[in-house]
Amino acid sequence: MTFLDKMQPGQSGKVVGFTDDNRVSRRLLELGVIPGRAIQYIRNAPLNDPMEIQVGHCCLSLRHAEASLITIELDE
Amino acid sequence: MHQATIDKTAKQKVVAICGNPNCGKTTIFNYITGLNQQVGNYPGVTVEKISGKFSHPSLPNQSIQLIDIPGTYSLSAFTPDEFIAASVLFGNFTKMDKPDVIIAIIDATNLERSLYFLLQVQQTGIPVVVGLNMSDLAAKKKIKIDRKKLSELLGGMPVVDLIGNRGIGVDELKEEAVHLLNSDLRTVDKYYSHETENAVEELIQLNPHEDRSRAHLLRIIFDAGGPAEEQFLQIEGEAGEKLLAEIRKKIIKEHSYLTHAETSVLTKKSEEIFNQVITKPDVADKTNTEKVDRYLLHPVLGPIILFGLMYFVFQSIFSWAEPFMGIIEQFFGMIASSVEGMMAEGPLRSLLTDGVIGGVGGVLVFIPQIVILFFFIAILEDSGYMPRAAFLVDRMFRWCGLSGKSFIPMLSSFACAIPGIMATRTIEDKKLRFITIMVAPLMTCSARLPVYAIMIAAFVPYKSYFGIANLQGLTLTLLYLLGIVVAVIVSFILKKTIFKTERGTFLMEMPSYKVPTAKSVLIRVYNRVKHFVVRAGTVIMAITIIIWALSYYPHQDGEALTAERTEEINQTIALSEMNIDKEFNSLTTAFSEAQIAEVSRLASAFTAVTSQEQLSSIADSMISLYPAYNEVISLYKSHEFTKLEASQALNNLPNEVAGTQIRSSYLGKAGKTIEPFFEPLGWDWKITVSVLASFPAREVIIAVLGTIYNLGSDIDEESTSLIDQMRQATWEDGEKAGMKVFSIPVAISIMVFFALCCQCGATLVTIKQETKHWGYPIGVFVYMTTLAYLGSFAAYQILTSVGL
Ligand SMILES: Nc1nc2c(ncn2[C@@H]2O[C@H](COP(=O)(O)OP(=O)(O)OP(=O)(O)O)[C@@H](O)[C@H]2O)c(=O)[nH]1
Ligand SMILES: [Mg+2]
Repeated sequence: MTFLDKMQPGQSGKVVGFTDDNRVSRRLLELGVIPGRAIQYIRNAPLNDPMEIQVGHCCLSLRHAEASLITIELDE
Repeated sequence: MHQATIDKTAKQKVVAICGNPNCGKTTIFNYITGLNQQVGNYPGVTVEKISGKFSHPSLPNQSIQLIDIPGTYSLSAFTPDEFIAASVLFGNFTKMDKPDVIIAIIDATNLERSLYFLLQVQQTGIPVVVGLNMSDLAAKKKIKIDRKKLSELLGGMPVVDLIGNRGIGVDELKEEAVHLLNSDLRTVDKYYSHETENAVEELIQLNPHEDRSRAHLLRIIFDAGGPAEEQFLQIEGEAGEKLLAEIRKKIIKEHSYLTHAETSVLTKKSEEIFNQVITKPDVADKTNTEKVDRYLLHPVLGPIILFGLMYFVFQSIFSWAEPFMGIIEQFFGMIASSVEGMMAEGPLRSLLTDGVIGGVGGVLVFIPQIVILFFFIAILEDSGYMPRAAFLVDRMFRWCGLSGKSFIPMLSSFACAIPGIMATRTIEDKKLRFITIMVAPLMTCSARLPVYAIMIAAFVPYKSYFGIANLQGLTLTLLYLLGIVVAVIVSFILKKTIFKTERGTFLMEMPSYKVPTAKSVLIRVYNRVKHFVVRAGTVIMAITIIIWALSYYPHQDGEALTAERTEEINQTIALSEMNIDKEFNSLTTAFSEAQIAEVSRLASAFTAVTSQEQLSSIADSMISLYPAYNEVISLYKSHEFTKLEASQALNNLPNEVAGTQIRSSYLGKAGKTIEPFFEPLGWDWKITVSVLASFPAREVIIAVLGTIYNLGSDIDEESTSLIDQMRQATWEDGEKAGMKVFSIPVAISIMVFFALCCQCGATLVTIKQETKHWGYPIGVFVYMTTLAYLGSFAAYQILTSVGL
């Protein structure tokens, strides 16, 4: 298990959960970052932040600070 | 009770459209109501409640109100736009009743996420029709949704397939909505946990008279620190506070986190429904969006393309607008000369030709620039590039206290600061939002464009480099950059002083690219051109007429002035003639007859002279040939000089009279009084009053300059364009008398002033509205005006000192 911000661009995995319960984690849930779903780390923006991820058919951008809330099970 | 039912049938029915951001709500709203509200391919286009109406045969003599609201991912509201959306659905938006029916638009390519929201909406207890929008895109991605099953699982809510931008399915949607208006199908499922249901019950018991829907009560329970809670505590006071704390404690005991009691239920339920209705391919195809983003979001290429794009837009504004401007100019020229031909001289003719046509007409010349700018803005907005631009700059913006989230409102401010400031409603961090509001007016809005365009066209040469870059476009790009750079610096200072921001968030959805539809581009351009023309015909017209009156009255009779001056000039000549007769005799007493004849012969050579320079050079060469006649030749020279000057003055008399008239007008006198204060910026009184008059609205400067120059020159002369008049203008008096008023430093000083100054009453009012405090607009006005003065002072002084 790892955190989303520790992954490398191009890697994919499954959402496990959140390390905290706050507005950001709730907004992430509402945006579709739901435990059990597949997640893919697509790329970083210039200067390495924010990052773009894909869950389902939806692409999201978020900062690494927010990504550190999300725990991930990496795919083999 | 009886009373209530009667009221219900009498009042206008209300249908509200809700859904996730960017799912196509406004597109469908426009289709049903026939209105032209703005759509765009990024989340957060609509940030206020918009109403329209439609009718249906089943309800004759009655129109149904349709309401479009900002998109939200859930009903828990933490930003102003989310709060508006939730309030409408809860029926506690000011002066508005609860909607009778809700149309929930769902992006079919994002069904699972949308279900989460839909389940919350269901809890309002208001009948819901579901519109599965973007079914064209879903089909392309091979996503199939079982409509019947979905409807069934949602307790019988009607579900309609839609392709909003082509209007497909919209009629059916309308039918279903109207049908629900009459049939009252309410589907509230109580699938929340035992504790939650108890909590809802207890809150109802606390104050049974208050009409709060379950959806609303759930917000009070779950959104600690949110606006629903705040409102609840205001009404219910201490008892409410105590009860709420108790309720939450119970829930937390059961679910460890308060919000889990909701999120776990909703995610589970939406997943359940999702899995039963969807069929989609296991492996999604690589979409075009992914392919395009590999370049547009590339860490190196991305920013280069972003800058290149902006540069291309500003280049095009100059290179494409040129021919169209000429046509409009000619058009107004024709009108002006025919009005002049038809009317007798007098105040009315002057008002029409100098004020209305010369002034307001001058502003309308810039319609082509507005069209081009908005054409590009519409394409950027509707293609899906906006959130990408925000993504690219987020990191760079962060150090100065802004974020990528601020970038979208700032980009919108290129169109106009007012929607830009309103677009900050999507920013959750209050301090970040206020910083963005305070710097948004620094972005180059479209009202500045005509001012830049005229100054650049008049004083920056049209030089082209390598066929891709021209100096005019480059100057415009630099002016846009100036706005951005100053905004960044100001927000940095604000961050360090007044608004010490914490690290904000940047959670944003990146929509798939779409080919912008011709319709939405046309609507955007049309709306803006209409706005521009209406502004020219109202605000700008009004100010221009005032300025015209101030510079026409008190009116001095032109003929009398002319007669007076002619008399004066003739007297000067006569005096000089007398003088020469006398002096000639005294200087030539010692001369022989032959010498006198020779001197007279020499003097006759002067009569053919046409300019002062010619006169001097002839006189000089004579003196060097005949040193003995030095004094006599000088005498003739000075006499001829006077005569030359007099005849030139007579030629120029109409202009001079017009100049005297405007200088002695109220405006002229006032302008001369304040001129010294703006002289360090390189401005004469005409520029000064034009700039001051344009404080309510920027484009006024063009109208006022047009009016002043038309009034300040001979009206009967072949009417020249404002650009030519500006190029020819000279200082009237003082140490710079006779020198050209406009030079490159002056033009740049004016443009810098406009770049930095907050000359827009409407923006200030909007800032007050959004911040709810007059301190902010006053602060913005003061800091921007100060910056503008200092900025153009610096620009003028530096540029003149390097010799430009
Ligand atoms: N392909 C496709 N595009 C659509 C459809 N409906 C709307 N669009 C496009 O989707 C984008 C978003 O539309 P809007 O109507 O602005 O969305 P909205 O829900 O009002 O967005 P917000 O106001 O930001 O919440 C626009 O570019 C529309 O042209 C559709 O059925 N198919
Ligand atoms: Mg909208």
